[in-house]
Amino acid sequence: MNDNTDIVTPSQPTHELRRDISVWGSYMWGYADVGADIYAALGLVIAAAQGAASLAFAAAGIVYIMIGFAYTELASAYPIAGGGQYFALRGLGDFWGFVTGTALLLDYTIDIALFSVASAGYVNFFLPYFGIDPTHFILTLGSLKINYLWLTESLIFIFFLIWLNIIGIKESSLFNEVIGAFDIFIESSVIVFGFLFAWKPEFLVQQWQMSFPTLHNFMYGSSLGIISFVGLESISQAAQETKRPATIIPRTSVTLIFTVFIFATAFSSLSLGVLPWQTFAEHIGDPIATLAHAIPYIGLIAGPVTALLGATILLISANSGVMSASRLTYSMSEFDLITRWFNKVNPKYKTPVRTIVVFSGIGIIEMLLSFMTPQAMDTLGNMYAFGATLGYLIVFIALIRLRFSDPYTPRPYKMPLNIKMRYKDRTIDFPVLAIFGFLGVGTILFEVILTHKIGRIAGPIWVLLGLLYFIYFRKKNNMPVTKSIKRNWEAHQMDVLTSAEEFDLAEEYRLALKERDEKLKRNGQTKPEK
Amino acid sequence: MIQSSLGVGIAFLFLLTMLSLLWWMLHVPPIIPQVVARAHREVEALKSILIPTQGMAYSERGVEVACRLGTEQDATLIFLYVIEVPRTLPLNAEMEEEDKEAKEAISHAEELAALHKMKSVSFVVRSRSAGEEIIKVAREQNADVIIMGIRQHVGLKENILGRTSDIVLRKSPCEVIIDKLPGEET
Repeated sequence: MNDNTDIVTPSQPTHELRRDISVWGSYMWGYADVGADIYAALGLVIAAAQGAASLAFAAAGIVYIMIGFAYTELASAYPIAGGGQYFALRGLGDFWGFVTGTALLLDYTIDIALFSVASAGYVNFFLPYFGIDPTHFILTLGSLKINYLWLTESLIFIFFLIWLNIIGIKESSLFNEVIGAFDIFIESSVIVFGFLFAWKPEFLVQQWQMSFPTLHNFMYGSSLGIISFVGLESISQAAQETKRPATIIPRTSVTLIFTVFIFATAFSSLSLGVLPWQTFAEHIGDPIATLAHAIPYIGLIAGPVTALLGATILLISANSGVMSASRLTYSMSEFDLITRWFNKVNPKYKTPVRTIVVFSGIGIIEMLLSFMTPQAMDTLGNMYAFGATLGYLIVFIALIRLRFSDPYTPRPYKMPLNIKMRYKDRTIDFPVLAIFGFLGVGTILFEVILTHKIGRIAGPIWVLLGLLYFIYFRKKNNMPVTKSIKRNWEAHQMDVLTSAEEFDLAEEYRLALKERDEKLKRNGQTKPEK
Repeated sequence: MIQSSLGVGIAFLFLLTMLSLLWWMLHVPPIIPQVVARAHREVEALKSILIPTQGMAYSERGVEVACRLGTEQDATLIFLYVIEVPRTLPLNAEMEEEDKEAKEAISHAEELAALHKMKSVSFVVRSRSAGEEIIKVAREQNADVIIMGIRQHVGLKENILGRTSDIVLRKSPCEVIIDKLPGEET
C-alpha cells in the first residue's frame, strides 16, 4: 500500500466489543488505576518534598488537571478504544500514533507487573494470622534470593485477572466497581477521621516553615507527584465498551480528576498535620497504614484494614493494566500499526482474548524480572514515568492539531480557556490551556530524563525496539512507514457515534460536514481528503 | 476528641465535595432517540432565513416568527420585497408608489431584526412573478428556510395560499414555513 492507494474506511471486525460499562464502571476503571498510584506514591513524595509535600502534590495536580481536561475532550469526541494512541493517530498520523501507543503500552504492562506484586505483598500481611510466615519461602539460586510464595501469589493474581478479562468486560468491570467502592469508603473514612480527631493545623504550618525542601528536592517530589496521577487514560481505553461514552466520559473524567486531586492534597495535608515528615520517609512502603495508626478510633484496626485496602486497590489497578494494555493493542492492530492478528474479538465473550493473553504475558515477564533483581522494580518505576510523560506530551500536540484539522467532530466537552481565531474560513477555538499543559508535561519529562538515571535509557530503548518492529511490519506489508495510510475518518467517526447511540452528536457531525461541503461547493472547491 | 475547628470544616467540606461530585456524575441525562436528535439538530442548523415581505401585518408577523426562530442559532435574516411589474410595463418602469411601499416594508422588517439584535440583509427586486423571484433569491442566497406570512382572510372560493405561496411551496429548494393567522368565521 502506498500514498496513491484508495482511501479506506477502518474495518469493523467481525465481532465487536460489547458495550457493558456503566457510568460507575467507567469512573472505576480510571479510579482503579490512579487510586493505587496515590496509595503507593504518598510516602515517596513526602520523603522528597518534606514539609511542602502538599504543595508538590498541588503543583503536580495542576499539570494532571490539564492532562485530565485534554483526555476528557478527546475521549468524549472520539469514544473508541486506543486512548492516547488513537488521538495521536488521528491528529498526527500513524507514526506518532505508534510512538504514543508504545509509550503507553509500557505503562500498562508495568501496571500489571508492579501492582500485582505489590498487592500480593499486602496479602502477605495476613498470612501470619494463619500460621504462615512468608519470609520462610525463599529460594536461593546462587546470589539470587527469590520469595517463591510471593512470586506464586503474584502469578495467581495475574492469571486470575487474565481469566476475568477474558470472560467479559462486564465481569472485570464489576470487580473494579465493588472493590473500588469499598476502597473509596475506607480512604474517605481515614481522611474524615483524621481531620476530625488527629489533624493539628499548627503542626502542618510548623513543618512547612521548618522543613521546606530545597528546589531540587521539591522538583523531584513534584515529578513523583505527577506519576501518582497516572491512570486517567484507562477511562478512554474502555470507551469503546462504555454505554453512551460521549455523554458519560466527560462526567466520569471530570469527577475522577477532582476526586483524585482532592484525595492527593487531603492525604498529604493530613499526613503532615498528624506526623512528622520523617516518619513517612521511614515508612515509604506503607504511608496510609502509618497515618491510620496515628488516628484515634481507627488506629486499632488500621493495620489489617489498610493492608486489605492496599491489596485490593493495587489488584484493581493491575486489572486496569490488563484491560488497558489489551484495548490499546487491539486498537493499534485495527489501524495497521501492529499485526492484524491481534484485531480479533472472541465471539462468545466479546473480548480481545489474544491481546489480553499476549500483553499480560509481557506483564508476567516484567514481574519475573522484578523478582530476580531489586533494581528491576526501580527500573520499571522509572520506565513508567518516562512512558506516561512521553505519551501525554504527544497527546497535547494531537489535541491542538485536531482543533485545526478536525473542527467538525462534535466535542461534548472542550478544554477551558480558548481563544477564537480564523483558520481556513472557519472560526477555531485555540486551546491555550493545552499549551500550558504541554509545557507542564514537557517540564516533567525533562525532570524524569534528568533525575531518573535508568528511565532515560530504558524508556527510549523500549520505544526504539517498538519502532524497529513498526518499520519491519509496515515494510513487510508494503505500507508507508513515515506517512499515514489514508483512511475515511468521516465515515468511521459517524459509525462510532451511531454505534455508541450518541445520535445527537452524530446529527451534529452530519450537519457540520454538510455545511462544509456546501460551502466548498459554493466556492468551487473540492472536498478535502477525509 | 476534636483537635481543631478547621479540621472539622475541612472534613465537612471534603465529604460535601465528594458527595456532590459523585451525585452529579451519576445523574446522566437521558438518551436522545435518533429521530428526536435529527429534528433538534436540523432546526438548529437553520442559519439563513429568507423572509419575503409585503409590508402587510401578516408579513411582519412572519418577520417576527423568523427572528424568534433564528435567535438561538444566530441566523442571518434575508428580507426580500418583490415588486411585481405587470407584463404591459417594462421592468424598469417608473413605479414610485411601489418603490416607496417596498422601502417602508423593508425598513419595518429591519427594525424588527434590530430589536432582536440579529444580522440581516435586504433586497428589493422587480420581477414578473413574486413566487419565481423568491425561489431565485432562495437559491442565490443559499437560504435554509423560507418563512412567509400569508393573508388572514380568504374568501370561500379563493385558493387559500394564493399564487405566490403556491409557487414557493411547489418549487422551493429549501424548507418552507407558512404563517397564517386564523381567519374570521364566515
